[in-house]
Amino acid sequence: MRTIKFILTFSITSLLLWQLTHPIHLGDKTIPPPGNFLNPFSGFWANAEPSKGFKEKDMDLPGLKGKVEVVYDDLLVPHIFAENMEDAARVQGFVTAQHRLWQMDITSRKASGRLSEVLGERTLRLDRLARRKGMVLAAENDLIGWNKSPETVVLLHAYTEGVNAWIEQLSPADWPLEFKLLNYKPESWTPLKVALVSEAMAETLCSWEDDLESTNTLAQLGPESFHYLFPEWNPKQQPIIPDTGQWKDLHPLVPPPFLTEPAPSLGFLEPEKNEERYLNDGPIVGSNNWALSGSKTKSGKPILCNDPHLNLTLPSIWFQVQIHTPDANTYGVSLPGVPGVIIGFNEDIAWGVTNVSQDVSDWYKIHWANADRSKYTIDGEQKSVRFRYEEIGVKDKPTFLDTVRYTVFGPVSFDFEPENPLRDFALRWIAHDVPLQSTFDVFLGLNRGKNYEAYKNALPGFDSPAQNFIFASRTGDIAIQPQGKFPIRGQQQGRFLQEGDTWANAWHRYIPSDQIPSMKNPSRGFVFSANQNTTPPSYPYYYLGNFDDWRSRRIYNRLEAMTGATVDSMKSMQLDNFSQRTADALPTMLRLLDRSQLDDAGKQMAVDLSNWDFRYESNLLAPTLFESWFDSCYTATWDEITALEKGGKSALRTDDLAASKNQKIELLYPDAWRFIDLMQTDSASIFFDHPATSFRETANDIVLESFKLMEAYFNQHPENRVSLGESKGFALKHLGQIDAFSRLDLKMGGHRTAPNAISKSNGPSWRMIVELGDEVHALGVYPGGQSGNPGSRFYDNMVDTWASGNYYDLLFLKSANSDSGRILGKQVFNPK
Amino acid sequence: MKNTLLTAIAILISGYLCSLGLPWWGITPVAVLIGWFFAANGLKSFFGGFLGGFLLWYSTAWFADDANAGMLSTKVGQLFMGLNGQQLMLVTGVLGGMLAAFAALTGKMAKDMLIKPNTGRKRNYLQERRR
Repeated sequence: MRTIKFILTFSITSLLLWQLTHPIHLGDKTIPPPGNFLNPFSGFWANAEPSKGFKEKDMDLPGLKGKVEVVYDDLLVPHIFAENMEDAARVQGFVTAQHRLWQMDITSRKASGRLSEVLGERTLRLDRLARRKGMVLAAENDLIGWNKSPETVVLLHAYTEGVNAWIEQLSPADWPLEFKLLNYKPESWTPLKVALVSEAMAETLCSWEDDLESTNTLAQLGPESFHYLFPEWNPKQQPIIPDTGQWKDLHPLVPPPFLTEPAPSLGFLEPEKNEERYLNDGPIVGSNNWALSGSKTKSGKPILCNDPHLNLTLPSIWFQVQIHTPDANTYGVSLPGVPGVIIGFNEDIAWGVTNVSQDVSDWYKIHWANADRSKYTIDGEQKSVRFRYEEIGVKDKPTFLDTVRYTVFGPVSFDFEPENPLRDFALRWIAHDVPLQSTFDVFLGLNRGKNYEAYKNALPGFDSPAQNFIFASRTGDIAIQPQGKFPIRGQQQGRFLQEGDTWANAWHRYIPSDQIPSMKNPSRGFVFSANQNTTPPSYPYYYLGNFDDWRSRRIYNRLEAMTGATVDSMKSMQLDNFSQRTADALPTMLRLLDRSQLDDAGKQMAVDLSNWDFRYESNLLAPTLFESWFDSCYTATWDEITALEKGGKSALRTDDLAASKNQKIELLYPDAWRFIDLMQTDSASIFFDHPATSFRETANDIVLESFKLMEAYFNQHPENRVSLGESKGFALKHLGQIDAFSRLDLKMGGHRTAPNAISKSNGPSWRMIVELGDEVHALGVYPGGQSGNPGSRFYDNMVDTWASGNYYDLLFLKSANSDSGRILGKQVFNPK
Repeated sequence: MKNTLLTAIAILISGYLCSLGLPWWGITPVAVLIGWFFAANGLKSFFGGFLGGFLLWYSTAWFADDANAGMLSTKVGQLFMGLNGQQLMLVTGVLGGMLAAFAALTGKMAKDMLIKPNTGRKRNYLQERRR
């Protein structure tokens, strides 16, 4: 009996212990081992940081050459005071990991296709995409380029070792919360992971393309309609670098002849499901920057502003840091996992970036020479593909093996379905290239730059993702330069899928750095960019891209008119919710609208809309109404494209192959600016006609029809007839999509066509204003907090400030002992 | 009652000391030993173990939560069926209590199996009560 009692209790205890230390699977959800997660010693309770005081401890750090002091201010921004750059990089690695380790881990995992190792089969598809588009190859090639610079090598390794010094002294209780929740261990940081984090940014910024959609659309519509609907230059555009006659004497390198007709035997391309998109064409990311010369400012000193718009997440994509060495004193935002400051200022200069948005990724159709697709034909000769075998670890499942074929152009990304011959395309993407120089030398040059010459000398080393580097100096210079590696293209080259059977179609040469357009101290007194066209078409090189048509015009108009600018006028520009698109579209649509056809409620709506000043303020109803009206007007106009997509009959083309194959194809829709342009200048265009009706509709009919649709919609759904802030559903999501760690309660104004480009989950990820002078006066804010720990008071402490349009004075310290009244504490690092 | 409290206090103190060096489940073997050495009978080992384990886990969680002003427990509670911080602390305490309770009981049962219990004292005690 006693034996049985013992065995029974022993079994229960063992079972309980086993259950507490093993994850529980409930349907598709997995609960972390309850004991591991809930115990108060090393479970999540250990991540509950004190809501007061300062907790960072002094450290002896192996590899340090001298003492390093880190002063934390009241926003938990580390101010690193080191005797040399190597020590500074080492400690930057340490303190960044201290606050953002899980973010660094998950970002590098996503870029390298290693999510499934820790998240299981559900991310396998994402991992395959990352591998097949060559993200790891791109990162490996980065390292080859970076290793050309001895200084980069030293800093890269110091930073990496600093991160690892933090990881090595962690006990399981100290692991960031997400590791505990997802039940996996932190692993070492490496230089390759630094490159992967950089490539993740490149993927976000310069992997845009719509070659396949363009190819389909051209084939469907024919050249005449295509070029009518998709002109490459918007005459209302305000380019970054205007034509001031500077290209008269420029002798462009001539591109070799290439096959101008897009792959003619193409047929129709299979649809792509959203989650299968290889390249980013998701929410538009954009950014603003501008710099004013002293002639435009009240202080007589230049002011520089930058607000990069990115997918907004918690933890934030940025980590603020100040790095002080005897050579330089730099403040700004860094990317967690990457050494140095990306956007910032020092005592002499300030700089910022926006995305250039030129197309630097092309697709080539591969002509296979054998059935197993190990050889392909190019210029009449057979070439062997290079196989790259990808082993993708999958949690609780066997390793997934994937084979990626590499051609002279790049990886054949699309071969999920080998039986589908229309998917054998190779990707040529600039991010795959070995950088000519170390990207870090560029940022290092800016970090410690003292004047325009330093800026000008630093830039040519920057290849990808191409950025509009804006600059201002204490001595009064302002400048802008779109910097990157740009292929020399023939007219229209890269707009459509290209034939891969001849090397002539490849990229052969790149625009020499002295022929890349730039602008210094223009008489108008300002330089700016907002992802618009780099130049007008008079620039001798052909380029194409995904350019913004609206923010740049608004910013230009305001800067042009501005005098005596102050920090406050800069704030009002960054927070400007005025949409140029709506200012163009709404008066036109109201003019075309026959109000006598409306009922009383509709007439009142039209009056309300006509009283609106095109500002997307959170508390207004008009933006909600107009967005609905504009969307249905747009959709009703382009019904012939929708019909073609679905394979239906169309007035435009009779030989509708898609219809016979009964499948949906992906097509392009015209840009909003062209659509508005047509309403203004060609309201009787055939495209306003519904092919399905016998009546010949004009823009007036479409505007009226869509207005009535809008009115009917809001009558049926009064719950959606709410202000912009309510209807937008703005979400500041946790990187792991955990709602409890997200901020879903914010009601935001703004619009992607307004300078304050806040959409559902994108927007200004860092708002910075720097007024140069004898003392730098800088302001900044981002929607997040310095700590990545949801249990820290610094996790989301800046979010409300950001959301309400306020800023922080950035604390730019001269020494580790400055007494500013805003110091939280000090962490001292000594050599070990 | 005294014995139950003694068991509980022994588990609370030794469990706390264990948490300074051992993994969180270090309380299990410790509670087994305490069940063996301290507990008078199965019921007392179980309740003493539960009380000790509960108090240890609950109070440690409470101190962490208090210093944190409940920021984290509110968020994590949402992941666990919308529990609030207080409820999450109770769940934590009950887990610690259950683990220590069954461990202490196991210790007591092991002792009963391997060493003949002193039934005489129990009888005397009952006789004293009767008097």
